[in-house]
Amino acid sequence: MANQKSSIKIAPGAVVCDESELHGDITIGTRTVIHPKARIIADAGPIIIGENNIFEELCCVINKAPENSTPGSTQAVMIIGNNNVFEVGCNVEAVKIGDNNIVEAKASVGREVNLTSGCIIGAACSVTCSEELSDNAVIYGANCERRIQKERPPAQTLQIDFLTKILPNYHYLRKPAKQSTPQKS
Amino acid sequence: MELVDTFYNNPEYIETASGNKVSRSSVLCGSQNIVISGKSIIMTDCVIRGDLANVRIGRHSVISRKAVIRPPFKKFAKGVAFFPLHVGDHVFIDEGSIVNAAQVGSYVHIGKNCVIGRRCVLKDCCAIADNTVLPPETVVPPFTVFSGSPGQFTSELPECTQDLMIDFTMSYYQHFKPVGKGKGK
Repeated sequence: MANQKSSIKIAPGAVVCDESELHGDITIGTRTVIHPKARIIADAGPIIIGENNIFEELCCVINKAPENSTPGSTQAVMIIGNNNVFEVGCNVEAVKIGDNNIVEAKASVGREVNLTSGCIIGAACSVTCSEELSDNAVIYGANCERRIQKERPPAQTLQIDFLTKILPNYHYLRKPAKQSTPQKS
Repeated sequence: MELVDTFYNNPEYIETASGNKVSRSSVLCGSQNIVISGKSIIMTDCVIRGDLANVRIGRHSVISRKAVIRPPFKKFAKGVAFFPLHVGDHVFIDEGSIVNAAQVGSYVHIGKNCVIGRRCVLKDCCAIADNTVLPPETVVPPFTVFSGSPGQFTSELPECTQDLMIDFTMSYYQHFKPVGKGKGK
């Protein structure tokens, strides 16, 4: 499954199932959980993923070149912060994603959207315009209505703990990058 | 009304002694925790997450392409737990639906591209229309149809729903026929 030319850096403590599909230049932070069949594709530039994120199965995170780009134009780096949850079957192309966001099942987030922090994109909602969502914005319902939540969604630390315990029992994992030998002082 | 025969490529499916037909390109995680009682069909690209908790699927059920069956989790004071998921007999789950329910009764029809939220309880003889999003912890009573996002009660089902679903799933199984020879490899 490993792609030639792909360079995947996995920090120690991350759980990345071997059945997930990773292409291109991807950096994965510690304690991030990537379920089997998740797809992370760094076509148009590297993807940097922070700590404590969950990528559930069939979610699709793509760093895709914009349609009007000319070949050889500058690459966009996709940066995903910490404590984000990408649920089953969601589709994310946003280049800038902050912390504590939840993208629910079957939601889709376009490339021009800037997810700040604490945003929730409800199930089956889609956001594609060029805009910056304010902190703690919630998008929900059939018409993608919006409101601002008072507090940010809780972090999923407990779920990550549970998954890091249980997933290695059932799946082959990708090995984290070799740690450089600690230097003796 | 007779159903039209649907054909599948014989080497693509495995038929078990109890009559289950399971696609080889479906993803069954933690298969030791998945019980499929018999004469059920699991189609291509389905994901069943037995690694998170036990999944039990009754007889004569049909899980269509790209559906995801995933036990729900709940947070407790200490730690999280994934709940076992029971799917009853004669259940039809259409393409691309995500089922996060705690329980799906018997004779249930779930349409295309639905999202069944965490810990929903679908009682016997109910139906979910296409593209419905059921919020977490929804209880769908017997003989009702839910639709929309968020899913709401829209209509009732006739008393003969049980017989209709038995008829439908059994004839679906009978008309799900292999093409090509050999067991394949």
